[in-house]
Amino acid sequence: MRAQKRTSFQIMTSTVHALLMREIKTRFGANRLGYFWAIAEPVAQASVMALIFTLLGRSSISDIPIALFLFTGILPFKFFSKLIPQVGAAVSANKALFTYRQVTAIDPIITRALIETVTFIIVYVIILSTMAWLGFEVLPDDLLALLAACFLLLTMALGIGLLLCCAVTYWPDAGKLFAMIMSPMFFISGILYCATMIPEQYWYLFSWNPIFHLIELSRDAFFVSYTTPIGDWYFASSIALTSIALGLMAFRINRHRFIN
Amino acid sequence: MIHFDNVSKYYATKQGRHYVLKNVNLTLPTDRNIAVLGPNGVGKSTLIRMLGGADFPSKGKIHSPEKISWPLGLQGGLQGSMSARENVRFVARIHGYKNTKPIEKLVEDFAEIGKFFNEPVKNYSSGMKARVAFGLTMAFDFDFDVLLIDELGAVGDANFRRKSEALLKEKFEKTKLIMVSHSLGELRKNCQAGLIIINQNLKYHADIESAIKEYNEYYVKTK
Repeated sequence: MRAQKRTSFQIMTSTVHALLMREIKTRFGANRLGYFWAIAEPVAQASVMALIFTLLGRSSISDIPIALFLFTGILPFKFFSKLIPQVGAAVSANKALFTYRQVTAIDPIITRALIETVTFIIVYVIILSTMAWLGFEVLPDDLLALLAACFLLLTMALGIGLLLCCAVTYWPDAGKLFAMIMSPMFFISGILYCATMIPEQYWYLFSWNPIFHLIELSRDAFFVSYTTPIGDWYFASSIALTSIALGLMAFRINRHRFIN
Repeated sequence: MIHFDNVSKYYATKQGRHYVLKNVNLTLPTDRNIAVLGPNGVGKSTLIRMLGGADFPSKGKIHSPEKISWPLGLQGGLQGSMSARENVRFVARIHGYKNTKPIEKLVEDFAEIGKFFNEPVKNYSSGMKARVAFGLTMAFDFDFDVLLIDELGAVGDANFRRKSEALLKEKFEKTKLIMVSHSLGELRKNCQAGLIIINQNLKYHADIESAIKEYNEYYVKTK
């Protein structure tokens, strides 16, 4: 039963597969309740918000049902804010496994990015299907643009996650600092509102934020009736490209720090 | 053969760089069992980890055409939050095995730790860890040319020692050892050659007795 000579790519695929099996178990828990929470959390959040908005007398925003409007903001934001700490802690959570020469520091990063992305897509589809079943019009207007916005979000999160991963090897509290920065982001990234609801003279307060841009762009792609006045593909792509480039560079330079 | 090309290894400490090895050039034979000698903290485990590809030299390169195992020791190798079974599965998968059941069975039978096989490794005693770590390497039958052992024997009970020694003997023909142990008796029994870490350098002795003699002269204080 001797293992055959494998190519580097084959080794990497089996390593990522092995890590995937291990991570899924810890991510979603041994009793599978984690799968439930992955869906329940954004649903609960959006429902509470939708309820508040409805009680305030608002049931739609530019002809978009309020629940759908909230989901298209909350889900991408959750994906972003979850992926970064997951990637940031990927290396330290698998330290003992680097004993095996097949396992390198990038493998758990790839694994966690895969898990979060697939979870995000599945949760998105489940929520939309449920809403379709309830009678909402849920088909995205421009699916390709929606996917592009999500892809940019993933690229940006991955870049920042890699930077965080390096930062914690120098300063273990970097993760806490990041969580502190992320908490107000929920309110300033255009999740509960969109650009057309903000007076034009205050747009400059939001237009620096690439997450705001991406959420605007994904709503623009999703709804026929909404056209974003701020969302800029060029700006969002440059930030995403810069962050992934910096992240990969920092990761490469610090690769020896991840071991031992 | 294992080649060391100008290998340096240091750790960044608060007092600056702490060198474990400095500019080591050496070729180690792999046709005999080698004992690694040195007091605590001199870098034996680091050396073993670098040989096994779990750690890297700060400068230089270690390379070898032989198949070298991962370092078998109490630290590392087994992820504490996973059970022994999950650890075995993981190792089988990274080595490209699709069906991990027979390997799980082999390790379970070798380790003889009963129901603890399905408990997280962090709840194990060091003896239990040693059983799993050792069983893992043996069950796979990777045909390693060199097996790296870092103080595994010390924690095992008589039963485990007998079993592991028998298994090693069976493999001696093909698989050679590089082992760290503080029991000179164990080293004498298993190894023919010695490697001492002195002054951030490696010193190879083709004869274990002369290695032990130098180790005693250099490191062991006699009052």
